[in-house]
Amino acid sequence: MAVRRTDRPGERRCSESGFAAFVDAWRSALLSRRTFLAQAAAASAAALFPLSSRATAGAADSTSTAGQLGPAQWRTLAAVQAHLFPAAADSPGAADINALDYLRAVLAGPALDADEKAFIVNGVGWLEDIAREQTGAAFTALDAGQREVVLRRVEKSSAGETWLANILLYIFEALLCDPVYGGNPEGVGWKWLQHQPGFPRPPADKIYGRL
Amino acid sequence: MNTDFDVCVVGSGAGAGPVVLTLAQAGYSVVVLEKGPWFTDKDFYKDEIACCRRSTYTPSLRDERHVIEDLDDAGEWVGESTHASGWDWWNGNCVGGASNFMSGFFHRLKPDDFRLLSAYGPIEGANIADWPIGYDELEPFYDKVEKVVGVSGRVVPHPHLEPRSSKDFPYPPTREHVIAGWIDAACRDLGLHPFPVPRAILPHPAAGRRGCEYSGYCGSYGCASGAKGSSRAALIDAALRTGRCKVIPRAKVHRLVSDRSGRVVAAEYFDAAGDTRRVDALIYVVACQAIETARLLLYSTGPRHPHGLANGSGQVGRNLVFSAGGSGSGDFPYARFDKAKAEALKVRGPFVNRALQDWYVIDDPALGGRVKGGTIDFLFRHPNAIARANSQKWGEDGLVWGMPLKEKLEAYFTAARYLRFEVFCDWLPTDDCFVSLDPQVKDKWGTPVARIRIGYHPHDLKIGRYLAARAEKVLVRMGADNVHSSVSAWPPPNLVAGGCRFGKNPGTSVLDPDCRAHEVENLFVSDGSFMPTGGSVPYTWTIYANAFRVAERIVDQLGGPRKA
Repeated sequence: MAVRRTDRPGERRCSESGFAAFVDAWRSALLSRRTFLAQAAAASAAALFPLSSRATAGAADSTSTAGQLGPAQWRTLAAVQAHLFPAAADSPGAADINALDYLRAVLAGPALDADEKAFIVNGVGWLEDIAREQTGAAFTALDAGQREVVLRRVEKSSAGETWLANILLYIFEALLCDPVYGGNPEGVGWKWLQHQPGFPRPPADKIYGRL
Repeated sequence: MNTDFDVCVVGSGAGAGPVVLTLAQAGYSVVVLEKGPWFTDKDFYKDEIACCRRSTYTPSLRDERHVIEDLDDAGEWVGESTHASGWDWWNGNCVGGASNFMSGFFHRLKPDDFRLLSAYGPIEGANIADWPIGYDELEPFYDKVEKVVGVSGRVVPHPHLEPRSSKDFPYPPTREHVIAGWIDAACRDLGLHPFPVPRAILPHPAAGRRGCEYSGYCGSYGCASGAKGSSRAALIDAALRTGRCKVIPRAKVHRLVSDRSGRVVAAEYFDAAGDTRRVDALIYVVACQAIETARLLLYSTGPRHPHGLANGSGQVGRNLVFSAGGSGSGDFPYARFDKAKAEALKVRGPFVNRALQDWYVIDDPALGGRVKGGTIDFLFRHPNAIARANSQKWGEDGLVWGMPLKEKLEAYFTAARYLRFEVFCDWLPTDDCFVSLDPQVKDKWGTPVARIRIGYHPHDLKIGRYLAARAEKVLVRMGADNVHSSVSAWPPPNLVAGGCRFGKNPGTSVLDPDCRAHEVENLFVSDGSFMPTGGSVPYTWTIYANAFRVAERIVDQLGGPRKA
């Protein structure tokens, strides 16, 4: 009787907010969110992130809990964000919207599971490996053209695509959240996109995690 | 009998509020056990992160999840937990339930929806059944909802307008966006009959609530003004003022305890600290939304109920229905209009408030003759900025980033307005759409979670596509670009009913025509679970109306209004 669905789920009707995370997962090779995380954290990480020697080396460090990123890795992440969301004369870039600090707060906060955090953290290491293997240099040392080539290579694996989709999602949050969360300082993202926020706006003691 | 309360209500959403208010006003003591926290109007802000990007009004999927069972490519039913998929099935777990976050598109069912089998005949593979009551019996309660919850609108005759006992709505329509007039003009050019969508939103202050403040963010958000007719703002707050209602938030009822006679003798719940507690009452009312209601009954086995409370027929959880249909949209580039019109189009706040029910019944040889159709509602794309931006990161060949992404975002946000439509048609009940208890996955309290098989009937897609194609023609007539739609068989988790059918036959239904369990004389179910078929409109108005009807039966069973 029932037939396998072929369409992707659309926008949620009536409540209208969409369910971006699910659709993201769906877009990414029809694997669901945690199936990725499970695979990315297991020995098959090599298959998902095939160019990274760290992933190929085995599960040991990728199954560890979300390790702390060192200063160099934060610089790598900042460089990725700046490449994905560059500043321009009339529009804010990743640094202008506090994207790195915003992501730091998300990784330190209660929203994500440990394996979701580990996936974001480990992705930085995998990216660094791929950059070195492809170019012989650190990602941060590459010019824009080389960065583009490396990131497009990352995107070719489904885990890499999911990782980049995640980084972009938190850039959008930093761009368009209420400034009370630390992104979108003085509404710079809203102003650029002529977005009119709703009211009343949240005071600092009534935001996610404090309600 | 000496009990803690006269009536114990499990849940506090649309199925609960009318019971709570009616019983408290009739002089009975009522306890409301709500799993989630208790937010008030003062806790609701237009905060996309809290509202829609994180689990603030719903449980974390780490703690509480569902298992969704779908067909795999090999034709086997395979379950996947929502924690794994990220597909969140919670709709609002707090005092007032999902009604806090509804858009309040309020449509009544039509008389034919109460007799789908007799009016349209059987469909192979679908468990269609007539309701044991007719529209006439529910009409006074639809009317009561208009007045008590507060429904704003304007009656405009159209071919499928249902009979009404009041001439018009007690509240005039909420303010309308200029595009409503454009929709009207296009529809009339096409020979159609657009009408203003009734909304459970107060246009002006009344009943101790403020009127709508037109922030432009309604669906998915809690209402800060109290204008939205949530069960909390419109009913439970009023019940509390009687002094006979007690709400216990963070009280997760996991089991209704029954004795050897089969009667319910206690509701057992975990309190905020995780300790097990019990309350008892003369009558128990379950209203946890269809899926959780079925789960609670299935888990509540007892000496006379070995397969779950009131489940001697094996019908608990069966014939779950959603709303079939889909949605579509069209673009209105500002550059197409003169400055004044473009500025009018940009205005945020007022509502679109237009619907079409010209095809509520379809008589078209292409569909094999006279069949049940549905409703088309028009609305703007939701203003949530992060969700909108996130939808722009996918291009034809994967992710878009860098300057191309920024150009795409800027064009998407600043160059056009997007008018959407939503199609609502019957989700036919089938043997492949039901709730059971998952054999493995448990919630944080160690109770089995609901496992939901989401099979559907292909007929639903046929009707949905028929309606979507006609809605597209309206957008084309309006001059929209990029008109497209998507009709899918993915169930919308927020538009759910059935699972505890009401009927006259205890062998084929769980509840009697008064929504009392056939097998348990002091147990009522007052949420959308009772519906044998769902109709072709969102459910909330019908749930409210039926819960007011059930509340009167409960008052009768308790001996009528208690004298002061």
